[in-house]
Amino acid sequence: MFKRLLFTGLEHQLTTIIGIAIITLFTAAGLNRLTIDTGLDSLIPASDPMRLVYERISSEFGTDNRTIIYVRDANLWTPNKLAALEKLHHQLSALEYVTRVDDLFSLHTIRGEDGKIDSRPLMTEAPSTLQEAKRIREDALKNPLIVDNFVSIDATVTAIIISIRDTSNKNDFNLTVNNDLNGLVAIIKPVFDEVVQVGSPRINTELKTSLIEDFKLLGPLSAFILVLSIVIFLRSTMAAFIPIVTSILSIIWTFGLMGWVGIPVNILSVMLPSLIIVIGSTEDTHLIASYLHNIANSKDSESSRQRRHIASRLMLNHMGLPLVLTISTTMLGFASNIFSSIGLIQDFAITSTLAIIFNGAITLLLVPIILQHFGPLKNRIYQPDGHMNGVASMVLGAFRFSSSRFPRSILVITGILCIFFIYAASKLHVTNDPLSYFPEHRPLIQDAKLIHQDLSGIKLFFIALETDREKSFQYPKNIQKLADIQDFIKQQGAFDRSISLADHLAFVNREFRQDNGKLDLPESRELVSQFLLFFHRSDLESYVSHDMSKANIIVRHNIHDSHTLNRYVNELKEAIPKIIGNEIQVSIVSENLMVNQAAESLMVAQVKSLVILLLVIFLIMSAMYTSFKGGVISLIPAVIPIVLMFGTMGLLDIPLNPGTAMVAVIAIGIAIDGTIHLLSRYNELCRRTDNYIEAVSITVQEESTPLVTASLSLAFGFGILLLSNFTVIAQFGALAAATMLFSIYANLLITPLIMTHVRLVSLHQILAIKVDKEVLENSPLFADMTNYQRRKAILISELNEFDAGEKLIEQDTSGRNMYLLLSGEVDVIRHNPNEDLHLATLKPGQVFGEIGFIRETLRTADVQARTPVSVLRFDYDKLKKDLNLFPNIVAKLNFNISCILGERLADVVESMSHAQPHKQEE
Amino acid sequence: MVAGAAAMASDARLSGIQIMEEVYRRHEQFPYIYEEQVMILIDSAGNRDTRKLRRYSRLDSRDSGHYLLLFDDPPEVRGVGLLTSIAPPDQISAGIYLPAFGDRLIESIGQTESESFLGTDFSVYDLLPEPLEKYVFRRQADETIEDVNYFIVNVYRPEDTAQDQQQPYKRHHIRQDNYYITRTDTFDRQGRIYKQQTHHDLKPLGGGMWRADMMLMENMKTRHQSLIKITRRVFSRDYVPEELFTLDWLISNQHMSSQPEEPASDDTSTEDKQVPPSQRSGDNV
Repeated sequence: MFKRLLFTGLEHQLTTIIGIAIITLFTAAGLNRLTIDTGLDSLIPASDPMRLVYERISSEFGTDNRTIIYVRDANLWTPNKLAALEKLHHQLSALEYVTRVDDLFSLHTIRGEDGKIDSRPLMTEAPSTLQEAKRIREDALKNPLIVDNFVSIDATVTAIIISIRDTSNKNDFNLTVNNDLNGLVAIIKPVFDEVVQVGSPRINTELKTSLIEDFKLLGPLSAFILVLSIVIFLRSTMAAFIPIVTSILSIIWTFGLMGWVGIPVNILSVMLPSLIIVIGSTEDTHLIASYLHNIANSKDSESSRQRRHIASRLMLNHMGLPLVLTISTTMLGFASNIFSSIGLIQDFAITSTLAIIFNGAITLLLVPIILQHFGPLKNRIYQPDGHMNGVASMVLGAFRFSSSRFPRSILVITGILCIFFIYAASKLHVTNDPLSYFPEHRPLIQDAKLIHQDLSGIKLFFIALETDREKSFQYPKNIQKLADIQDFIKQQGAFDRSISLADHLAFVNREFRQDNGKLDLPESRELVSQFLLFFHRSDLESYVSHDMSKANIIVRHNIHDSHTLNRYVNELKEAIPKIIGNEIQVSIVSENLMVNQAAESLMVAQVKSLVILLLVIFLIMSAMYTSFKGGVISLIPAVIPIVLMFGTMGLLDIPLNPGTAMVAVIAIGIAIDGTIHLLSRYNELCRRTDNYIEAVSITVQEESTPLVTASLSLAFGFGILLLSNFTVIAQFGALAAATMLFSIYANLLITPLIMTHVRLVSLHQILAIKVDKEVLENSPLFADMTNYQRRKAILISELNEFDAGEKLIEQDTSGRNMYLLLSGEVDVIRHNPNEDLHLATLKPGQVFGEIGFIRETLRTADVQARTPVSVLRFDYDKLKKDLNLFPNIVAKLNFNISCILGERLADVVESMSHAQPHKQEE
Repeated sequence: MVAGAAAMASDARLSGIQIMEEVYRRHEQFPYIYEEQVMILIDSAGNRDTRKLRRYSRLDSRDSGHYLLLFDDPPEVRGVGLLTSIAPPDQISAGIYLPAFGDRLIESIGQTESESFLGTDFSVYDLLPEPLEKYVFRRQADETIEDVNYFIVNVYRPEDTAQDQQQPYKRHHIRQDNYYITRTDTFDRQGRIYKQQTHHDLKPLGGGMWRADMMLMENMKTRHQSLIKITRRVFSRDYVPEELFTLDWLISNQHMSSQPEEPASDDTSTEDKQVPPSQRSGDNV
């Protein structure tokens, strides 16, 4: 069944090609339905309960989607410059999606002087004289609600804060807003020393444009690198052409399907073309390497067609199972993120899993067909003696030398390295901040830093306090709680500033009392209410609800690292309830905060995905190699690169983010491929020899070319991602590339060292054995064994076939093999000096040679095939070794052998007892 | 009266200032007014704040007099007073009394035409008669809105006209049938309306004088609205004695307990009209 599936492509070539063409055309039609999503929404877990709280609070206190226009000028406070700002204010206010413009022209100020109070807008229009401008500057600098918030301490910088609400639900909303804002900024830029705008529309737009740039750059570059590395390592242009074909088809299928089902392209799926090209090519590389190996062993006398035909069929036979396994484990690596609560990662997990499945299917169906018709007939990597040429052989030579000369040292050094890297990994931190997606040199990041140099940071969150009673925040004791929370924030020293109703009241109180410097809160509820008459509702709507049952503290900051931000916010969450008591409920929210807090779930999801993946791979490999030991051995070479990768992240201070969080699981899925190929080949070889060290050596020799080629190609391919516009993708690429290199080390040094100590039997082999069931069941050697145990026992033996007349055992020679006759008949003939005595004719299921197996002695008779026979040969030395590896099976076999010997002894005794009276009679 | 108004309206020769003079001649006849008001402040989200106020007006002449606004409700702001005085030529001074802050009348400076007072969308100027000599009035093409004919008069600051700016500072919509300003748009420099004051529930009081029982001020920038509903109006010198407009009376907190008695007659009453002789001559009642 499995084989039939594997050979579907080869057996039904026309149908396969037509099928692939139809699917390609159908999915290609979905490509123009593709959408791009760079919204922050996909960074927040869909199940986050804070979403509802956030929506409620932002509808009460206004949106946190704010853009800052930063304006710096040494002579800011002059009539013409302020006139330019006034014009900008009006232009911004006229934009339909702008709900609010907070700047010098909307701010209200109160000033107490000479027993008088002056309550009015800072300015409603630009002043006409320099003197007036200076007075406005002075007013602004005297207002603590303005300084550092809207005006820098040296008054050379002012901020225009624009609140935006997307009511259009159009895909290009952010682009429109960003273009409008850039247009307005460009107009006033010549007037001022520096003008920049930073906010969600710009971040979102830059994410989108960078994503499209990445899309155009990374895929073709990866393809180029792939072709180059395959040509270098496999020395065949056809070998380079094949992965490109399968990759292009897989990309069309994947993105076309995304278009049809409405999964948008996001900043992670932009690297899918590169991943498909790079990861997908590994399967092609293994297939082509196997094909080339078969071509090297084919007879030159055969026709080209025959050679290709045989080589491609052998290739599928030899590589089919490992390929299905490696495709499955790679797919599992990507799929393990499907349950991530973060939409961005989940979408990527779904699409990448589909991509791997598509690529695997296309590879298995199409590559054999291509090779059968157009496969290269010249092999430049394998020499006639089986050794290899090229870079791979040099790499292999170095590894072989190290592993044969210093096996213990290698294991010890690896152990020490792992311990050190585990320690380094403990310093790992997480981040999910959208600004951290961009590299430091990017103008957007520089602009954000520039704003932070002179003003409070561009990021903000709300601390909303809610009570059940109206007018609660008219009471001084509750207002004091706001001030106490702000004092705590100040003590933390992490956030730039906070503003609340308490600041407004303390300010107006100071101005009324005309007590410069002291910012005390009003003492009575009446005074609070009467002071509040001096504010317009629009001045306070971000800080207190209309019925005064809720109050809000706006905290501005510039923390880009989720871990740090979450730590301080958690501190706040712990401290605030102690300050406010039980009567007031607190919520700390903002879209940015939810995105950053999702970083924690990123860590949890990462651990969960890793554990699940390791467990699944362990179970699969245990089942495949019919022992838990097989599962553990398969995991070791996959886990080492991951440990090294996490350690590298810790050492180089690379955070865990939506990009890097996926490296481990994806890398495990890929790195295990090499291990599977090694173990499969080793397993096959072990059936033919009792020299396991030699089997390991041959395995490494045969498999290292595709393994090194695939790993280096993957490393180069992932390395291409370093050119991405996004830090998250560049970090993903660098780490994945490093992990691929680590996996070469693990697979070529550690796996062989472990393999020499194990002997695995694959489930596939067990199921594939074709032996008469009745013969096995009736054989005394397999008495009391389950069918599965019998098959496994068969696999630790050796299957030999003999023609009629051939001697299996020769009398008077020594040998320590025991045989189980599977089919045909053999004669047991003892040569006496005078005559040949035919002792017995053995039938299938019977055992012979057991004496020599137990004790090294000369054979007492010939065993000769009467008909063509097939026998299982059990070698004493091999079985002795296997006692450690398969103790249950070997113990059972030994027990049954002792039973057989016991019966033989009983037969001998009986025959002797029959012979004795006969003699006496004589 | 109606016939006279129609005759005036049909007179296309009336200039902006002449229309405005007629407006004030007709409707600013009573210098002593006491009003009880309900003020509703509506924010952009539709939330409403309700305040109850008393307003005392005592004009000595067109350009001099006193206004006192007293808060009665909500209780926590009861007693808050805004005392405004106008003096020739066009000086406006204001003092604020906050009972919770102590026995002080704090002089409030910086009252401008665009500055709203005490959280409302009205400026002090919006509630005072417009000094005609301070502005330039230009009549525009008449308009008919919902079958009502209006004079359209643009108001310019003298400095704007000097700079030959065409952008008006305000625009009045004046009903041609009774010369009552029912709508005033205030413009920003870009020529956009940023405040719109409308008058509703117009009632004739006799002598050609009309009064609106409801005024709505809409701030287009902040999307806030302030609505003043006059629940009681008395034209009487006795209701607005001179000592009311003094610091001593406010500090004594008499206003916290005292409210003028309910008149026996209709809510809006003109039972004790004290019309200055100069204006009486123009009374068409």
